[in-house]
Amino acid sequence: MSGITRRTWLVTRREWNQRARTRAFLGSTLLSVLIVVVLIMVPEIYGGGGPPSRTVGLVGQNSPRLPSLLQAAGTQVDLAVKTRAFADEAAGRAAIDSGDVSVLLVDQQELVWKAEADTQLQAAATSAVSVLEQERAITEMRLTPEQAHRLLAPPELRSTSLDPSSDEQTARADLGRIGVVLLFMAIAFYCAFVLTGVVEEKSSRVVEVLLSRVRPTELLAGKILGIGLVGLAQLAVVMGAGLIALSFADNTVIPETTPGTFGWIVFWFILGYAFYSVLYATAGSLVSRQEETQGLQLPMTGLLFIAYILAFVATESPDGTAALVGSLFPPTAPMVMIVRIAHGAVPWWQIALSVALMAAAVYGLVQAAGRIYAGGVLRFGGRVGLIEAWRGAEA
Amino acid sequence: MLEVRDLTKRYGDVAALDGASFRVAPGRIVGFLGPNGAGKTTTMRTVFGLVHPDRGEVRWKGELIGPGERARFGYMPEERGLYPKMKVGEQLKYFAELSGMDAPTAKDATAGWLDRLHLGERAGARLEELSHGNQQRIQLAAALVHDPELAVLDEPFSGLDPLGVQAMAEMLTQTAATGAAVLFSSHQLDLVEDVCQDVVIIDHGRIVLTGAVEELKAASAHRSLDIRVDGHPWVPILPGGTITNKQGGRERLLVDSSVDLEEVLTSARRIGEVTAFSFEPPSLADLFMAAVSEGARR
Repeated sequence: MSGITRRTWLVTRREWNQRARTRAFLGSTLLSVLIVVVLIMVPEIYGGGGPPSRTVGLVGQNSPRLPSLLQAAGTQVDLAVKTRAFADEAAGRAAIDSGDVSVLLVDQQELVWKAEADTQLQAAATSAVSVLEQERAITEMRLTPEQAHRLLAPPELRSTSLDPSSDEQTARADLGRIGVVLLFMAIAFYCAFVLTGVVEEKSSRVVEVLLSRVRPTELLAGKILGIGLVGLAQLAVVMGAGLIALSFADNTVIPETTPGTFGWIVFWFILGYAFYSVLYATAGSLVSRQEETQGLQLPMTGLLFIAYILAFVATESPDGTAALVGSLFPPTAPMVMIVRIAHGAVPWWQIALSVALMAAAVYGLVQAAGRIYAGGVLRFGGRVGLIEAWRGAEA
Repeated sequence: MLEVRDLTKRYGDVAALDGASFRVAPGRIVGFLGPNGAGKTTTMRTVFGLVHPDRGEVRWKGELIGPGERARFGYMPEERGLYPKMKVGEQLKYFAELSGMDAPTAKDATAGWLDRLHLGERAGARLEELSHGNQQRIQLAAALVHDPELAVLDEPFSGLDPLGVQAMAEMLTQTAATGAAVLFSSHQLDLVEDVCQDVVIIDHGRIVLTGAVEELKAASAHRSLDIRVDGHPWVPILPGGTITNKQGGRERLLVDSSVDLEEVLTSARRIGEVTAFSFEPPSLADLFMAAVSEGARR
């Protein structure tokens, strides 16, 4: 395949102008942006942004430090505790009745509940009050600051989880699934454009007018580049919008591998598209009419689906052998690798090896496909055999 | 000067081209004539590298043709085709640029051609919105928009009404007048008789006749003879024999140019009243028939 010539760029520019400047493109891009942004922002909306909240009514003799102590104690039992002071117990009890407060704390002595005690809130209140009690006792005992500290400092317990952060793992698997679906859709969608584009030129016979001016490889390269750039632009805009949404969404549900994964989705689209578009273009050069493309798409669609399914298998065990092999094997690499990247901690050499294998596969494919395309694209009337097309480009 | 040398191309057992050689000079309109399947399209596609010959070569100004040369050629394939959904103006500009014109020149050339075809206002229309005739015109413009040095047009007259034929002929004449070499093919020899200055006649992949039309006619050993006695065609018996050529539903008679006209006329008068008598240089179709039958005899 020759270098990129001016003619290649002209073909590329035509593809861009004919596709990227349409309302359909603008509409589908905006829709995709909307979906991604909503996906990122919505958990934030329905998640309520944190632990459940409780209001503690205060009445009688209470330390002014009680509200802040209650709040701190609440955090430890995963409650957002607010306080509200009442002039007398009657007003406080009325607030319990109406549900405005969960509990009424009277004189730092008594907790008044509407029905049963909320054990979490009770623990928080007890803890807050006991801090005040301990401080009072320390003052009365006239302890040195060191003694006071020893008495008050909580012991530090080390935590070890047997299933570390399983919420985060689930979220990362979900991220991987989203990445796979996005990649699959983008690759399948834009490769279909390549296929119909090639067949359109053949069925409308404009290909002969074109090939009297440009080499088959120039036309093929320009078409793949042009459509690929449209796809890349769309994906980059959508992923970019996603990243911006992420920076606004202070959402703990979203795994920390997300920004990196978004970047890698764009990167793997380039490689995956390069691989599959060449296959689809070659298939297109072998048929004369759009109706004939159905059966011919089967091998590529099959390959794409295998990659899709393998990627979902990989979400279950991202460190397994199947995931490793799938992330190195060029036809499945983009989608399986994105799952592993979303899972996190893919050794850099594996990514490098996968990219190198993919680049080699694309290079080899372009050599063979360029020739088959050149041999097939000018043969009209029914399906052209692969071997016939290969031979047709000889001499 | 376009030089086609010894082109040979086989498709399986069928020889599409069998050692075809001819030349096309700048400023000349050359009719590439022959029946369907004679090898015209294969030859033209070879010029553009769309077909690789088994043997032989094509040269332009003495050089083997590569992409640089092809950029200065214009081609209208027999199977017409442009982008149906692309705007006419954008489309012509695209093809002009693909042929090496820079963007401003391509824009001017496109505007010039659209004006010339009286389609200036349709520049923003999609091709498929144009009438069939106008699509044909755009197709021709796509072949010529970059002012090619060589225009190769495959069957440009097919499907045109008499007015269209006339307009197309004018277009070719104008193109040749700019110094471009024009090669066009046709299987309807009578239709293009007056259009071409030179002819290359091909049959079964072989060139059977080539030269300037007037010279070929003058130099022909045959004449077209048409005698009517009492309103009916009459065929004399002549020493050199006759060739009949059916054309336009009418038999035409080719005789040796040395025939004794006086004797023929005298014998005709013996039969009845001579109502029509013409003795003319042969038509292109006559030349073709003579060349083909000669080739067959050889």
